[in-house]
Amino acid sequence: MTTEATSKPSAGAAAQADAAEHSLPHEDRWLGYEWRLIPAAPTPPLLNMALDEVLTLRVGRGERPPTLRIWGWDSRCVVLGRFQSVRNEVDEEAARRHGVQIVRRISGGGAMFIEPEGAITYSIYAPEEMVRGMDFPESYAFFDAWVVKALRDLGVDAWYAPLNDITSSGGKIGGAAQARRGGAVLHHTTMAYQMNIPLMLEVLRIGKEKLSDKGIASAEKRVGPLRQQTDLPRDTIIEHLVGFFRSRFGLMNDAIAEDELAEAEALVKSRFGTPEWIYFLP
Amino acid sequence: MHGEYKTPGGKLVVVDFAVQDNQLRDVRVSGDFFLYPEDALSDITAALEGAPADLTEEQIATRIEGAIPPGTEWLGTSPAALAIAVRRALASTPESELIG
Repeated sequence: MTTEATSKPSAGAAAQADAAEHSLPHEDRWLGYEWRLIPAAPTPPLLNMALDEVLTLRVGRGERPPTLRIWGWDSRCVVLGRFQSVRNEVDEEAARRHGVQIVRRISGGGAMFIEPEGAITYSIYAPEEMVRGMDFPESYAFFDAWVVKALRDLGVDAWYAPLNDITSSGGKIGGAAQARRGGAVLHHTTMAYQMNIPLMLEVLRIGKEKLSDKGIASAEKRVGPLRQQTDLPRDTIIEHLVGFFRSRFGLMNDAIAEDELAEAEALVKSRFGTPEWIYFLP
Repeated sequence: MHGEYKTPGGKLVVVDFAVQDNQLRDVRVSGDFFLYPEDALSDITAALEGAPADLTEEQIATRIEGAIPPGTEWLGTSPAALAIAVRRALASTPESELIG
């Protein structure tokens, strides 16, 4: 492109740029499904882990339409990534002292310190055909592009930072992780709304090696929680995200079915709540 | 023994093991990486179990690389990164433990 074209775009180019600004990458792939919404309800951390497995498998088997679930929490917890070592990530004594439960999710990635009103978490359960032909990095960016756009509509200067971060000029907002099961993709993302940094630093071990390529020594400087960036109540932000999804892709209100809940509760007993799972990597 | 390596712009890989008769034992690989399928972690760990403690970083990386099943996606870290973590762990080992 010439300098002239850059500084003085033609009317056609401007319209094209405008369209690119307003559409999402591969937006058509979201369409043609009857998306369901499972709204937030206070849920025990272990049940949240199990629901991700159950709902992913159900979507993979075609027993449930593609679904967006907004998470609710009923207590503090640390959610470890599938491959993290408990000892390396958590000060267990501090966790016990502050009533912070340790749970392990089915997807990889890093530990999250969760307080019920401090985070906004959602899961997308989608058929794998939605990301056909995409490599993993592309599929991560694809599933969160709508959220980045919705945050930008709220005035947050957000963008996607590969592999799996939503970040902004005000600091990192959140991170995503995926698991794949039986023809379905689970893509879940947690964004910081309001952070209790002193407590987080007490419970999580954030080693020097982890910060070695960040050029800064403080975890505090790396994050830009949404409350700080928008001044909006947490529920308002969630409503905005859901409304954005609904207007773009369609979304029908739904709930967790009784048999889905029963299956998830059974999985808490047989797997997610067991030391074998939680201390899979001690 | 414990070693860590964070790939710049990527993820952390951590390795813990003991050394017996100059071989790596009870190897555990962990970190905030992504791995598809998840079972491939046992292949990666098995590649290090029993490995001689005097391998070079390149030799360790080759050994790991060769153990990863085709079609596996390991994101944010790599055999080379894990090899660095292993060498770091070995470098931190007191001489007495290496002999023991």
